Amino acid sequence: MSGFGGFLLRRAVGTVITLLAVSVIVYVVFYATPGNVAQITCGPRCSPEQVHQVAERLRLDDPLSVRYWHFLQGLFVGQDFSTGTSVEHCAAPCLGESYQTGRQVLDIILGKLPVSLSLVVGAMVLWLLLGVGTGVLSAWRRGRISERALTAVTLAGTATPVFVIGLVLMIVVCGELQLLPFPQYVNFTDDPEQWAWNLLLPWLSLALIEAATFARLTRSAMLETLAEDHVRTFRAYGVGERAIVVRHALRGAFAPVIALNANNVGSAIGGAVLAETLFGLPGIGQELVHAVAVVDLPVVVGMVLVISFFVVLANAVADVLYAVADRRVVLA
Amino acid sequence: MRQPSVIARRVAAASVSLVVAAGAAACGPKDNDAKGSGGDSTPHKGGTLTVLNSQPQTDFDPARLYTSGGGNVPSLVFRTLTTRNRADGAAGAKVVPDLATDTGRPSKNATVWTYTLKKGLTYEDGTPITSADIKYGIERSFAPELSGGAPYLRDWLTGAADYQGPYKDKKGLSAIETPDDRTIVFHLNKPEGEFPFLATQTQFAPVPRSKDTGTKYEEHPVSSGPYEVVKNENDGEHVLLKRNPHWSEATDDQRKAYPDTIDVRSGLDSSVIDQRLSASQGADAAAVTTDTNLGPAELAKVTGDKDLAARVGTGHFGYTNYIAFNPTVKPFDNPKVREAIAYAVDRSSVVNAAGGSALAEPATTFLPNQKSFGYTPYDPFPAGPSGNPAKARELLAQAGYKNGLTVTLTHSNAKDFATSPEIATALQDALKKAGITVRLQGLEDNDYRDTVHSVKTEPGFFLAGWGADWPSGGPFLAPIFDGRQIVKDGANFNASRLDDKSVNNEIDAINKLTDLDAAAKRWGALDKKIGGRALVVPLFHPVYKRLVGKDVRNVVISDWTGVLDISQVAVK
Amino acid sequence: MSEALVTVEAAGTGSTVPAASGARLFWRLRAQRAALVAAAVVALLVLIALAAPLLTAVEGQDPTTYHPSLIDSARGGVPVGSFGGIGADHWLGVEPQTGRDLFARLVYGARVSLGVALAATVIQVVVGVVVGVAAALGSQWVDQLLSRITDVIVAMPLMIMSLALLAIVPASFPRPVLVTLVIGLVAWGSIAKIVRAQTLSTKGLDYVSAARLSGWRTWQIARRELLPGLAAPVITYAALLVPMNISVESALSFLGVGVKPPTPSWGQMLTAADVWYQAAPQYLLLPAGALFVTVLSLTVLGDGVRTALDPRAASRLRVGTGRKDPAANARADVGQTAGSADVTKKKEASA
Repeated sequence: MSGFGGFLLRRAVGTVITLLAVSVIVYVVFYATPGNVAQITCGPRCSPEQVHQVAERLRLDDPLSVRYWHFLQGLFVGQDFSTGTSVEHCAAPCLGESYQTGRQVLDIILGKLPVSLSLVVGAMVLWLLLGVGTGVLSAWRRGRISERALTAVTLAGTATPVFVIGLVLMIVVCGELQLLPFPQYVNFTDDPEQWAWNLLLPWLSLALIEAATFARLTRSAMLETLAEDHVRTFRAYGVGERAIVVRHALRGAFAPVIALNANNVGSAIGGAVLAETLFGLPGIGQELVHAVAVVDLPVVVGMVLVISFFVVLANAVADVLYAVADRRVVLA
Repeated sequence: MRQPSVIARRVAAASVSLVVAAGAAACGPKDNDAKGSGGDSTPHKGGTLTVLNSQPQTDFDPARLYTSGGGNVPSLVFRTLTTRNRADGAAGAKVVPDLATDTGRPSKNATVWTYTLKKGLTYEDGTPITSADIKYGIERSFAPELSGGAPYLRDWLTGAADYQGPYKDKKGLSAIETPDDRTIVFHLNKPEGEFPFLATQTQFAPVPRSKDTGTKYEEHPVSSGPYEVVKNENDGEHVLLKRNPHWSEATDDQRKAYPDTIDVRSGLDSSVIDQRLSASQGADAAAVTTDTNLGPAELAKVTGDKDLAARVGTGHFGYTNYIAFNPTVKPFDNPKVREAIAYAVDRSSVVNAAGGSALAEPATTFLPNQKSFGYTPYDPFPAGPSGNPAKARELLAQAGYKNGLTVTLTHSNAKDFATSPEIATALQDALKKAGITVRLQGLEDNDYRDTVHSVKTEPGFFLAGWGADWPSGGPFLAPIFDGRQIVKDGANFNASRLDDKSVNNEIDAINKLTDLDAAAKRWGALDKKIGGRALVVPLFHPVYKRLVGKDVRNVVISDWTGVLDISQVAVK
Repeated sequence: MSEALVTVEAAGTGSTVPAASGARLFWRLRAQRAALVAAAVVALLVLIALAAPLLTAVEGQDPTTYHPSLIDSARGGVPVGSFGGIGADHWLGVEPQTGRDLFARLVYGARVSLGVALAATVIQVVVGVVVGVAAALGSQWVDQLLSRITDVIVAMPLMIMSLALLAIVPASFPRPVLVTLVIGLVAWGSIAKIVRAQTLSTKGLDYVSAARLSGWRTWQIARRELLPGLAAPVITYAALLVPMNISVESALSFLGVGVKPPTPSWGQMLTAADVWYQAAPQYLLLPAGALFVTVLSLTVLGDGVRTALDPRAASRLRVGTGRKDPAANARADVGQTAGSADVTKKKEASA
């Protein structure tokens, strides 16, 4: 299938170009942000000489272009770093080391990624269940009071910022009713059951925000199908309403929901900043906000690149899934 | 002194406190209140203590930590030559021996300090601790790779100003001598009677040269204290400590080390920490926090609940929030304008903005209101609790601003209720009554620090805060008012650019004193003398309200840190 | 809310005939009761925001004056009196810690929140339409360049770039304007994608080809034939963007880089109020309720406009099953374009 191979190749090239452009923009933007990086790294009471030594060690005095060139070198060839007592090699693709802690950026990211992925994937399952479920119900009960109430509830989720929903849920569910533990990340590999219980509230908070969009999408896709001629024919032949809804209408909603979902997962990895901050989940978003605050450029660039990669990847997956689900679409 | 942000970030400034003093004295049988479910208040060894923190324990390397008195979690792993007295309240503001047999023997007018190590000290692997390891620990704190600590060693040790640490400079620091394995001698470039205070900081912890891994050392620093590091995940976000079998109570009369395991979890939202402690579910019943205090909203809830209120303690840490002036900027060059602002300030509304009367005490002195600092009460511009706008208008008229004045107040956008927008808007509202229109200039945190700490960009009128590196007037007054500490090309804290011979001389004279009580009295007198010049307007001293889990006992909070001391806590 | 959804949703409005005229749109909208109510609520909200000084004058309060006597300093500054100090003087009570009037802060907050959200939406729409149309009508090279730029914009995490950009600009720059510009300029990616896809599909249609054959210039075609066709998806999408922008504004406040005090905004109120949920519930419920009403009415209105703009809805109504416009929303939502601009439909490609 040469068409698909060509699609993949074009996408791969496009992805690399996009990510490089993203890295240039991040470099330029953060180069311009205020904050004396050497002073922040060194500590507030460092003398000017000490600050200078730190700046020299981190090559902060180099012009922007030279620093970016070093970044590219690290990415494609790797880099060496001194720990003081020894020299450590950071193999390509090397995203550099943190100004603040001296840890390799890739290690930091790999330590945080499981948390962010756990959060987003679990939330995705919930928002699909909640969203599609609500959507089906409201398509079925269209125009009745129950449908309007459902719409209002899901919209209330969308309208309320995650930090409000999350905190109120925590106070009520964990504090007052004591139904769940206060969320604290547990590795899936350590204890899958605790992992799930601890993440349930964060998942719910994120899912409530996204559910409304899926509900509306499902509902309208189903209505579209229900109005098509063949469905009317089925009806005329006396096929039961439930069978029509499940076998035909729901199938019609499949393609757009899949496409939208793949897309959302990508952006949610970076977008879960607020949930991670509130629930104290040590994910990418939380770390990124901190890195921005202390102008830790290598960490910021590395993490933004990873998030961008997921967004681009998810977009590609969405296109493929969409094409698979809807034969009329070609991949170009 | 640390700046506010550092305090918030690196040092546990907030404090928990004594449940016992606050709760039990007021109501009920002394033994049951606040002591947890058992009813038996005697602390026992064993169990796991959970620490719920907002800031991760980053840079877990004794060279990089900036602590007051050795820190809280760090002090469980790093022993130092001297340490803070682990006692409640004012008694906790004293310095006591730790690895050394005494707090130091001064000679030659307090320019030479000699320490002898106790016998039988070992690391977690059983190897002996030597004076050379302490010297090496100090030397590596000079390496640019391991920057972050306090500036005093570099400023005080002879010939240390340009030293770049043992990785670049193999010769080492000649200012530190180790004539034998148990003796260490420090040569200072000027008299410093407060050297024993400095020796409490983690840079004075021993580091075995053979185990040094540079920037990687923080992953598993070698313990000299009662606990060793089992896990340090994601740069201090989850730190698990277990008992160090080679530590012995016989050589350490300060750390109690009751729990077998200490589990430090951080990166948590501060309101979530308080919710968890209040619910005290599961492991949270044996939990404390060392960096989060009750906010105003939580306080409003807790005060209505007797059980919770009994679990709240109060702590004090030497800290002052104030308005700083730069008298080289008009119209703040005119003392009358500065005095007018001092009169117009409504401290009650500022205190409310900082969290109310339970979380902040109005301040009229620059020194914190504690004896160890040499606190001498005074109020050069007595305006009452909510300000005296009439007097302010009068002074403004004398200064030539009959029709009022428009000024810009610079503040940070940090959410710290210290130099933050809440305080700035409260001042804006108060100064309006005195005919002073305040425009607010809110800067992002880094921008704010760069701007106010550079002599080139320093604004005329801004919010600032200052905290204690140790409970004494020296590190509180000198960086702010010593003319020789004005830094032209780096971070400057002498915002008012005061360079007065009599002030400088008095600072030198007090530094010579090794009698700390006598020194404290003179710091207090100096504070009062400077206060009359209206170079700063003290606003408030923060108070820390800390909640602990329901099974936590033996809560000790000293005035040195204002924080619940984890080395004293028991969970059984 | 996800950008992708809107892409999918809005693009589908894909009317393949020139859009309805303003008058017809109005008539169609009138047929929907819910949309009318929603329109009225939105109008009311805008009116309240505009009339904030007047309303607070009637109440006799302003949003910045402190009332220390109305709060209990020893208890963290919780308002004195029942229901957060609600009374004749303070219609909705006062703010904890300061005693500032909540009604005044809420109505002034509407100015900032709605103002920022609406203005940012306008920026997003303008930039998105210009980039999208230019990409669709320009040469292959222009299309590639603009599409790549759009990809980059979509790929970058919005919140992080906003954090950085808001820190760069000097503090003297008016904050609400800055927040508007940042939100507007960072989040136009999806609308550009929709517009490009829509324009590409319209471009191949007979009446456009006819126009081209009769010698019209590209910009003439764009203005007379293509832009009207874009109205439906763009308006639909804009209605969805407004609530999204409101929540971005509140998220920025939560992260500490939003609109600055003493200027009130809903996002800022929510940020400060969430911890007061137990001690002073109305402090949280007021801005949360206001935000909910706004998002709900904008969504319903958006639905209504979309239905009214889709010309097929009317015919469906006539020839359909007798139930009300079942397909209109559906067509709008399922759309003909997936999340990416690289997907085109066969029938369009062959058209």
